Formats: sequence, structure tokens, C-alpha cells
Amino acid sequence: MSANGIDAALEREVAALISREAMLLDRRRWEEWLDLYAEDAVYWAPAWASEEETTSDPETQLNLLYLKGRGRLEDRVFRIGSRQSWASLPLDRTVHVIGNVLVERAQGNAVEATANCIVHVYGKKGAQTRGSRYDFAFRRIDGALRIARKKIVFIDDRLEGPVDIYHL
Amino acid sequence: MRNERTGHEMNRGAERDGFRHLVDDRVDEGVFRVDRAVYTDDAVFQAEIERIFEGGWVFLCHESQVERPGDYWSTEIGRQAVFVMRQTDGSLGCFINVCSHRGAVLTPLKQGSANVLTCRFHGWVYDRGGRCVKIKNEELGYPVSEGARERFNLQRIGALDSYKGFVFGSLRSDVPPLRDHLGAAARWIDLLADQGRDGLEVVPGCSTYVVHGNWKLQAENSVDGYHVTTLHSVFAATVAQRDARDTTAGMRRTESGRIKGKVPSGTYDLGNGHMGLWAMHTTPDVRPIYEARAWLVESLEPAEVEWILNRGRNLYLFPNVMLMDNPSTQIRFVKPVSPRLTEVTVYCIAPKGESDTARAARLRKFEDFYLTAGMATSDDAAALEAIQDGSLGPPSQWNDMTRGMDVMVAGPDRDARELGFEAAASCPDWEHEGMFHGFYRTWLERLEYGAGGAPRPSENGAAGA
Ligand code: FES
Ligand SMILES: [Fe+2]
Repeated sequence: MSANGIDAALEREVAALISREAMLLDRRRWEEWLDLYAEDAVYWAPAWASEEETTSDPETQLNLLYLKGRGRLEDRVFRIGSRQSWASLPLDRTVHVIGNVLVERAQGNAVEATANCIVHVYGKKGAQTRGSRYDFAFRRIDGALRIARKKIVFIDDRLEGPVDIYHL
Repeated sequence: MRNERTGHEMNRGAERDGFRHLVDDRVDEGVFRVDRAVYTDDAVFQAEIERIFEGGWVFLCHESQVERPGDYWSTEIGRQAVFVMRQTDGSLGCFINVCSHRGAVLTPLKQGSANVLTCRFHGWVYDRGGRCVKIKNEELGYPVSEGARERFNLQRIGALDSYKGFVFGSLRSDVPPLRDHLGAAARWIDLLADQGRDGLEVVPGCSTYVVHGNWKLQAENSVDGYHVTTLHSVFAATVAQRDARDTTAGMRRTESGRIKGKVPSGTYDLGNGHMGLWAMHTTPDVRPIYEARAWLVESLEPAEVEWILNRGRNLYLFPNVMLMDNPSTQIRFVKPVSPRLTEVTVYCIAPKGESDTARAARLRKFEDFYLTAGMATSDDAAALEAIQDGSLGPPSQWNDMTRGMDVMVAGPDRDARELGFEAAASCPDWEHEGMFHGFYRTWLERLEYGAGGAPRPSENGAAGA
């Protein structure tokens, strides 16, 4: 264990968890995906406030998604599973590719990490490839790391097609 | 950016004998239908850009987006880049956003603040009033004389005016006054603008999305109540399972009564192509505006208070903006890119000085429903794209818009008279389609008679006959 609490085993564990989330989304294993999140997790994709800056305060500024609590993620899964959402039928196909995983901090049960993600989407109107920067906060619950907070800076702005949890 | 889908599109050559044949307006015979070529035809689109978007009033921005002297806002009128600039004396100016030298767009950002705008190409400088105040190395290249730079001043657009904070402009100057253009719709703007003791403000953050569908589908969709109980039933179901799970922290209960069942509602042809839709809230007390109830009651007429608090509303202002006050409050700006591609930018607009909890609830409701990341607007966009795809082949020619025609009335109904707006026609149910008649009549007049935006007598008689 290094002085800052980050060792190779933790780095592997974090990288595996982030990749696992991507895999579960691509393979539409929604229930297992939900299990990765803590009950009080915050899932946040800010909007762009200008060409160069995203919004930074969800309480006073607009976001693409600001979902507080795993229940808000369950809403999304419910809607996808209903087969009644026109934007989600047929479901876009996605491939997430995770990279640049860096564990930034580790203290007790709390771990923070950053990563990048390229998502290739194929849907009704064709293919597109979009990019995101992830800021994660994890919490160790009963021995396993869970996602306590995920901030997604979705760098694309002029958006085509729906943007749902499996696109990000 | 994906490729536009043009492959098997039929161009029906819509302008061969004018555009009149595209709107089959025979209400006396119970017929009102619109040729789907209006969504797909290149000649129609070209005429729309020239005669509607570049030929009359369009929405530009909200005054809160250019609050202080030097603040600018870049946008387009049709194809023309323009910018709105708050002048030193506090008034607004709107200029062609193109350097007089060799045509580069001037503003570096969508929104910014500047004492002067310096062209980044060869360095010409314009002040806030559009005057060309400096030409780099002028003395080496031009015969220097007093006032010689004046011919390079930025052009002002033809007309600029605002109504209760909403700023409109026209490239042409031969347009009726803004107040005449807005007509009955002005009273509907009041219903939003009067909600703030100190006015409204656009909340930071916006989202732009591209819809593979014609811009008029956005207009129709904004006042189409008929789709709500089908297309958005999944939104209502999602909210119902959410409420059952009782994990609504920070959101406040979402009102889904209007989506699930029948409530009092209506639509209006507001004249000049503007349209309005309303439906009664089943639980108005969960709306963020409800905290301002006492102040509204003491400041406004009872009818206006009733409309603000109890009726969800969508206002479509011809041709390029919707002001919505339903689950949340929204400016939806529409930019036609091609017959089959529309760029939409949405902003949350809110009363200045509302409480932090009301503001947060307003934002959560906005994100929940609107946006392509939201759980309703994304379904709307998919539906509109399906209409575009369904409009491509010759056998699928006509859109029927007769629903509720028997019960619509010419002029204002009782509700409209109470609030005080001269509706061109009133429909007693938001599932009715009579307001589209006014929209397409105005649309046709503008295409047939050209620019200017002055309503002209139509062969079809008064709207809502
Ligand atoms: S184009 Fe602007 S200075 Fe030359
Ligand atoms: Fe809708």
C-alpha cells in the first residue's frame, strides 16, 4: 500500500469495475448494472453553459441528467424495459470503450477515480461516436466497491438521437 | 454528425403552380389536409427560409441573455448570422454578424461581452454600435479621409423590438409593429413574463439537439395534445412506479394527471400563425410557481392568476420559438437546417428571485421531461422523425387535420374573453386540431405573398370558419 492509499490491487479493482459497468450497459444487463450503484448514488451529466464550460451547480443550473438516488436510475430501466418508449424501441446498439483509468484518491471506504469513455452508437439514423469524461466516487459497502457518484462530462453538444443511460 | 437521409426522397416539385395546392383548405366541406411534401420538398424549404424566416419577425433571445452593456448574443435569422448587443445606453442593437471587409463572422462566442468586436482575420474593429472604428494599417491601403470608414459600419437588421423581455428581430424593415405581429399571443407571453416580480431569467445551461424532421413538425408537436395519452403514457407509467417507490427526494411529486386521463383543456389559433394549448393541472400546488401565489393574487387580475397557476400551457410563436409552461418552463428555439433536419435549442426560463427549492424543482422537472436526455421529449423527437420518414413516398400524401372541426368556434371563447385575448379560433379540447388551420393559412400566405409578415386577406376567408 502506497502512502496515498492507492496500490496496484485497488487500481485493478477500480478499472475492472468501470469496465464492468460498460459491459453491462452494452449487453443490456440492466439489473446487474443497477446493482453497481449505491442506494444514494448521484448520477450527473451537466449541460454545456457555453462553448467551453459545463454547468457546475445542479441546484441552480440545467443538466442533461441529474439523478439523485438509485431510484432515478431504476426509472430509466423501467422505461427501457416497458417497450413503450418510442426513443427506446428499437434500442440503439452501443459499444463503450473505457480508457485512461486513474485512481485519484483512496481513504478508508472512499475511492475516487477518473476515466474516459468512447461510445459508438448505432441506431435508426445511422452510426455515431461520442466521448465522455468520467469522474467517479466509489464507496466500499460490505467489501465491494459501489458507485456513489458518477459525473459524466459528455463532450458532444449538438446531440442527435436520444441520450439515455446506455449512451453515456 | 450523421449523414442526412435523402436517398429515396421524392421531390414533388411543389412550386410548379405556387404552393396553394399543398393546403387543401375546404373546411365548409369538412376537409382540411396538408400535403406531406411540405415536410420534404426543397423548393418549399427554400421559399420558407426566404419568405418566412428572412422575411418577417423571428425570435432572437431573451433580454436576460444580454443583461449588461457590451453583452452580446449570436444567432441567425434564416441563413443570416446576426448578433444582439446591449448598447452603452442600455438599449438593444442587432447587427449583421459579418465583417464588412471580407465576410468573416465576427463574434467569437455564442454569448459574450465586449467593448469592441475585433475581426480575428485582418483586425478591423467595430464598436458596440456597429461603427467601424479601426482599420488595420488604414493609411497604407486606403485614401484616408474623414468619415471614410463609415461605409464599413455594420448593418443593422431591419427591425428590432422586444415584448416583456422577449426579443424579436426582422431582416426586413417593412414589417408590421411587433405588437401587431404578436397580436393575441402577447397575452400568452404575459402569462409567463408576469410570473416574476423582477422579470424572468434564462437559467445557465442549455441543450441543442438535431431532429431528422421538418421544422413544422416541431411547431405542430408543441400544441398537439392528442399524442399525450399515447406517446407519453410511458412517462406517466414511469412516474407512477416512481411515486410508488417513494424515492422522490429533491424532485417534488411529478404531475401526471394530464397524461393519464381527461382534464379540461383547449387549443387556440392565436392568429398570424401563433398557436396555444392549455390543460388544467390536477395538482397545481406541486408546481414551483405556487410559492408566489399570494403575490400573484395581489398583483394580477384573477383570470390571469388562474391561468398561471392552474393551466399548463404551450405557446408557439410563428415561426421559430415555443414558450412552454407545463412540467417546467422552457424556451424552445427552432432552427431549420434543411427540409428534413431541424436544430432545436432549449433553455429553462424562470422567475428571478424564486426560492432555491423552487428553482431546483423546476430544473429537475425540466430534465425529467424535456431534453433528448429526458423521458418525454426524446420520445417526441423519435415520433417526429417517424413522420418525416413516413412522408417520403407519393402514396402517403395527405395529413388530416380535421379533428374537432365541428366544435371549434371562430373568435375567442369565454375563457379567452375572460383573460383578454382575441383568439382567431378556439377549440374546446387539446386533442383538437383546428389551431393548425390558422398555422397553415399563415404559412401559405407568407409563401404566396412573399415577405413582410403582414397578414393578407386569404381566399379561404377568416381563420376558424
Ligand atoms: S474579414 Fe474581417 S478584417 Fe478582413
Ligand atoms: Fe410530447
